[in-house]
Amino acid sequence: MKKLALNSILISLAVVLSYIERFIPLDLIIPVPGIKLGLANIVTMFALFFMGLTSAVAVTVLRCILASFLFGGMSSLLYSLAGAFMALMVMTVLKTGYNKAFSILGISMGGAAAHNTGQILMASLMMRNAAIFAYLPVLLMTGLVTGLLTAIIAVNLFSIVEKNKSVKLI
Amino acid sequence: MRIKPRAGDFVVIAVIVISAVLLAVSFYQKNSIEKTAIILQNGTVLDTVRLDRLEGLYTLDYEGEYPGTIEAENGKIRFAHAECPDQVCVNTGWISRPGQIAVCLPAGVMIRIEGIDADGSDVDIIIK
Repeated sequence: MKKLALNSILISLAVVLSYIERFIPLDLIIPVPGIKLGLANIVTMFALFFMGLTSAVAVTVLRCILASFLFGGMSSLLYSLAGAFMALMVMTVLKTGYNKAFSILGISMGGAAAHNTGQILMASLMMRNAAIFAYLPVLLMTGLVTGLLTAIIAVNLFSIVEKNKSVKLI
Repeated sequence: MRIKPRAGDFVVIAVIVISAVLLAVSFYQKNSIEKTAIILQNGTVLDTVRLDRLEGLYTLDYEGEYPGTIEAENGKIRFAHAECPDQVCVNTGWISRPGQIAVCLPAGVMIRIEGIDADGSDVDIIIK
């Protein structure tokens, strides 16, 4: 029951973060479609680290559906699902080496890069054209910066949550 | 609390940077003598525009769920107006170099510039 409540909070938090993100005009600085801070990825990471993979998948899918229906429109659903799933996949793999081979930094940056790659893959499928991959280098490089930012936020969040002892790292 | 990076983190960063550089190099095209803008909607060519031979203003209205207008002049092309929700395409502004693209994802419209470079080779990359 506690898990259900926490999952619901995480989903609503992720939806709110996706909404707030729309007001940060990152694409005015770097005019590339789909460029975002990836704040909702912090929630995905939290779910992955404290709740497990099933929970992370549920939070990701529902967040994408809700955010797309509320603010993005149907076309954005496929892009956000493709990005979010790629990110989740890569982060799940990298997490197996957490504290040994990788820290939050590598996991977050890998997630950001995978997110961008997923979205570009989906975009090239939808537009039936590979030219859109021309955007990927810029997205990958900015992903390093946004990945660093989300890693800093996540590290601080995780340390607070662990002190609180209400949820445990898994 | 500070991040304590592990060795693997730098591997991740290196892989990302290397793939970004490799991709950028493969899409880079030299300055061209001839420049053609190809306007595509969901994979179908709507029109092709010879940017280097353009006289006056060229405009193209496209239909669909999110209609819009593309305009070209003086060797450059842009989304002048679009009814899509994110306006990323309009914010991209003018594009003029071969290899550059402007895209409206909601409308499925893409402008791509292709060119023949100064060396005379007419094919830089073929992407299927």
